[in-house]
Amino acid sequence: MFEKVLIANRGEIALRVARACRELGIKSVAIYSTADAESAVVRFADEAVHVGPHHPGKSYLHIPNVIGAAQKTGADAIHPGYGFLSEDPFFAEICSDNGITFIGPRPEVMEKVGDKAIARDLMQKAGLPLLPGTIEPVQTAEEAQEIADGIGYPVIIKAVAGGGGRGMNVVYKAEDLARLYATTRATAQAVFKDSAVYIERYLEAPRHTEVQLVCDSQGNGVYFFERDCSVQRRHQKLIEEAPSIHLSDAQRKDIGERAVAGALAVGYTGAGTMEFLLDHEGNLSFMEMNARIQVEHPVSEMVTSVDLIQEQIRVAAGEPLSVSQEDVVLRGHAIECRVNAEDPDRDFAPAAGRLDVYVPPGGPWTRVDSHCYPGWNIAPFYDSLIAKLIVWAPDRLQAIERMDRALSEFQIEGRGVKTTIPFHRRVLADEQFRSGDVTTDFVEHFLAGEPAGAAKP
Amino acid sequence: MSDTKDTTPDRELIESVWAEARDLVKRLEGSTVQRFAVAAGDYKIEIERGAPAMAAGGAGISVPTPPPPPLPGGPVATGAGPGMSIAPGARMASGVFTIGDLEQQDKRIPVLAPLVGTFYSSAQPGAKPFVEVGTSVELGQTVCIVEAMKMMNEVATGEGGKVAEILVENGDWVEFEQVLMYLEPADD
Repeated sequence: MFEKVLIANRGEIALRVARACRELGIKSVAIYSTADAESAVVRFADEAVHVGPHHPGKSYLHIPNVIGAAQKTGADAIHPGYGFLSEDPFFAEICSDNGITFIGPRPEVMEKVGDKAIARDLMQKAGLPLLPGTIEPVQTAEEAQEIADGIGYPVIIKAVAGGGGRGMNVVYKAEDLARLYATTRATAQAVFKDSAVYIERYLEAPRHTEVQLVCDSQGNGVYFFERDCSVQRRHQKLIEEAPSIHLSDAQRKDIGERAVAGALAVGYTGAGTMEFLLDHEGNLSFMEMNARIQVEHPVSEMVTSVDLIQEQIRVAAGEPLSVSQEDVVLRGHAIECRVNAEDPDRDFAPAAGRLDVYVPPGGPWTRVDSHCYPGWNIAPFYDSLIAKLIVWAPDRLQAIERMDRALSEFQIEGRGVKTTIPFHRRVLADEQFRSGDVTTDFVEHFLAGEPAGAAKP
Repeated sequence: MSDTKDTTPDRELIESVWAEARDLVKRLEGSTVQRFAVAAGDYKIEIERGAPAMAAGGAGISVPTPPPPPLPGGPVATGAGPGMSIAPGARMASGVFTIGDLEQQDKRIPVLAPLVGTFYSSAQPGAKPFVEVGTSVELGQTVCIVEAMKMMNEVATGEGGKVAEILVENGDWVEFEQVLMYLEPADD
């Protein structure tokens, strides 16, 4: 096992990883930018190294300074958290060149799964279901037309190198195809420096369903069931839950086994997530793989009683997973709300500032993953996450009631600070949400149906 | 996935605003002007002189709290930007930075590590150190090297003066903005 782990991140995830290290008896090293000198993880970790000014490119993303901090403190591994350097194969390679273990998949595996075209090809071969469409990039407008006509409309044209909702266009009619094919290629070239695009069937209102897994270097893989993350706005997830109430036990087992088989087939090690779309007929289609721990991992931890960060560290150190598939039992229902410093009445505009009041909720089966404390300043140059509030209950409706109770206790105040708490409470009270019939277009319709909230200046 | 946004500030612009602000503080010495602001593009630095919190005669750069909402397409600089020199011990407290190296009673000028790495006092092992206590240095003169990942980064002075104290040993690991040495201002 590692002696000392450096955490190349900030905010709640840095603290989350440091806590896992402490419980495993591993020393932790925080890194921080000038703006984060007073951050919770700097206080909590065994050591802290100042790595640069607030600008992420000069601090959290500055590879020489991050590696330097690991060398200065003698850390034998780096946990990248999510975002920042977590999916940078180049960084993973530099870690290894410097004799430091990168807690994540090997660089060449990360590179493969990060390329959507390669990942789709590999996962289809490994037996994962895909939407009808192309694997190889489409070369000409004529070819695109032929393929789209074969699939049936609507289709979506996506940049191979795209992500975060950019570099994609939906085509509803055959006559629009040639134009949108050209537009998508041009955008892809301009934004991602790679004009390659592929085409697949477009699902109008799917559910976002993702399978959590961890693989060790002994060739074992375990799935920790699935999460439903359909409550999202412009591809930013707001509420996540586990499990999805739309999968049968047989389907859950099947997709979990296929996801693990796919990961093992590409030599994947560490924690990862396979993203799927679930259509109204109950068909799952593989979208992409995320080669990192995700923001919403706690809901999977709550329903399986497994600490995923500890497993991630354990397998990176070369140890086998501490649990086998038979040990992982799904119990109850968990929900996470992302409490962000954003104003839901002003189109979720950032509303950061100093937290004069910060009183997190407590009580049974209530978990708060946060780096905040009274007096902490939510800086505008990092993400707006204040806290992840997670609750567990024996079933979904009880989890909703518990979440609403916890949100009602959560006190956050500061000049100019607004939070997404009122939005979450409105969603929790919504009949459609309570029924569980939520698709990825839910938030858009929900907000449009609330002129009182949306029309305020 | 939300993860972290990269709000890349315009480094050169921030630095020019910063330089202008520093210059103004110096030129306003002895005047009755209490507050002024320097702005360029999306960046603005507000200076409040002789604030009660800086009773020792220090000037404070007050950053409005909460920061103004980001302008469309442009980030707002509200703290120590890239390359800005903040004196040791300066920290964010209610968004106020103390510029220690402007009017501190101790007028020594800190030389700060520009990055994380290993401190070397000379260009080669065994070679004569760039500077020693008592060496006079000019603006822009190399005073040491900080090595990071086999890249040798020369550290140059931001002002001229005489080396008063060297705080680190050859081969020490240093972190970002750690004080490496102090200079006595040349004018004294």
